[in-house]
Amino acid sequence: MSRIVLRGLTRDFGRVRAVDDLTVDVRAGQVTAFLGPNGAGKTTTFRMLLGLIRPTAGEALIDGLRYERLPEPRRVVGAVLEATGFHPGRTGRDHLRIAGRAADLPWRRVEEMLDLVELTASADRRVADYSLGMRQRLGLAAALLADPAILILDEPANGLDPAGIAWLRALVRGLAAEGRTVLISSHLLSEVAQTVDRVIIVNAGRLRFAGSLTELGERTVSIRAVDLERLRSAIAARGYVVDPTAVSALTVRGATAEEIGRVAAEAGVALTELSESGASLEEAFLRLTSPGDGSIAPAARPAAATIR
Amino acid sequence: MKSLLAAEILKLRTIRAPWLLFIAAQLIVVAGVSGLMFSGTASHLATTELPAVRHAGLVALLSLILGIMAVAGEYQHRTITDTYLASPRRGRVILAKLSVYTATGFIFGIASAATALVATAIWLAARGSSLDLASGELWRTLIGAVVWNVTFAAIGVGLGALIRNFAGAIAAALAWAALVEGIVGQFLGRFSAWLPVASGSTLVGIRTGNQALPQWAAGLILVGYAVLFGLLAVQLSVRRDVT
Repeated sequence: MSRIVLRGLTRDFGRVRAVDDLTVDVRAGQVTAFLGPNGAGKTTTFRMLLGLIRPTAGEALIDGLRYERLPEPRRVVGAVLEATGFHPGRTGRDHLRIAGRAADLPWRRVEEMLDLVELTASADRRVADYSLGMRQRLGLAAALLADPAILILDEPANGLDPAGIAWLRALVRGLAAEGRTVLISSHLLSEVAQTVDRVIIVNAGRLRFAGSLTELGERTVSIRAVDLERLRSAIAARGYVVDPTAVSALTVRGATAEEIGRVAAEAGVALTELSESGASLEEAFLRLTSPGDGSIAPAARPAAATIR
Repeated sequence: MKSLLAAEILKLRTIRAPWLLFIAAQLIVVAGVSGLMFSGTASHLATTELPAVRHAGLVALLSLILGIMAVAGEYQHRTITDTYLASPRRGRVILAKLSVYTATGFIFGIASAATALVATAIWLAARGSSLDLASGELWRTLIGAVVWNVTFAAIGVGLGALIRNFAGAIAAALAWAALVEGIVGQFLGRFSAWLPVASGSTLVGIRTGNQALPQWAAGLILVGYAVLFGLLAVQLSVRRDVT
């Protein structure tokens, strides 16, 4: 089941296409990382999902509805966005009381959330006196105030010290264990690798990969052959996953060059190219997000196809 | 809508700026009344009464700044994102802001009128004269001052939603009041009385030209501006991206 669905989501800012035809699902009850380098369109995507920015084309739906159509949005989605601020002169408790008032929540939720993010002792200090880590925690408390089933966190680890990051990881794992859907963006794979079930990778506004971490790190073999169709059925007959739409080259996941070479030989197909790629997660991530490289699509497309 | 109104009131109460503006308005009224009374000669004291209480209207400039805080202040501190996440139907958010800030403008106006009245009475008593409470013009001036504050607060909400940059909106408001309206007025001739600050001045009985409008007409014009800016605020806020 998918709680968040993006369909052909596109947004232009002037002549720049910040988000380009993004189609991807975020599954319920999982932690999904939304990865990409800075400027990849992550924040714009989140803001479109939350009804703050209008898409140029396509749509972003939560439980089948646009955010602004949700009857009680705070109870469905809690979000901490990067450019969210606090009035420096307000106390942490007052900030939460305002959020609670707007969502019609009982006062005790404010106290419960202050406890959860360990800010009770500083609740009556002005936010101007808070450290960056304390502000991140206050933002989280506001997002969790209405006990939402979906949590969206935009670069939550930014500005946190190692202890803060460990605390955040534990919190996210705890929230996921309660059955919540968590979507968390980052420009660093290492930051989220231990926490997530699935990753979505974008670069230059386009989808590069969607799948599990295992799939991301998997070896892939690319082949070109004289008779591609025959090779495709031969490979598929051995139980390998093959992109059924590829026309010029085939990419096979979870196989080695040797295995595929044998399959081709047995099928009697002459190969014109055979290469193996893929290694560590970090390498795979970097390969998918290297700047200006629009030709990586073959590596990403089969991945998207296997996941659906 | 009830929770939106309550949230807006809470936002206003939990920061210092509105309280400081309120105190500043009262101090300016007291200072303005005192200045007139201090320099006025004893024989002219009776005619100083109206110019003195007019200060309650002039501090509508502070109500305008208060109104600008409603939307532009939220952009300044980037709390607007949270506000729209809590209530993505932005038109309702702006309507709630207009209601709360107009009501606060009313409180500013009533308080400034009371302060002006009391300060004037005390000065007159101190100088051996007394306030003519039976004067219809006195009460019309005070009511005009309240209307000026209320409408300028609403206009401020609209201006803040239009410009969104807090410092820019304040600068634009002050430049208009101090300089631009005068210049625009030159081009408009007798219609210059229809401009916002001129209408406010008429409302408290300041004659800005020989073509001055009746007080009630000036009041209607300001209400018109308030409605216009309010509609503009709703329209613009619903459409624009929040980045």
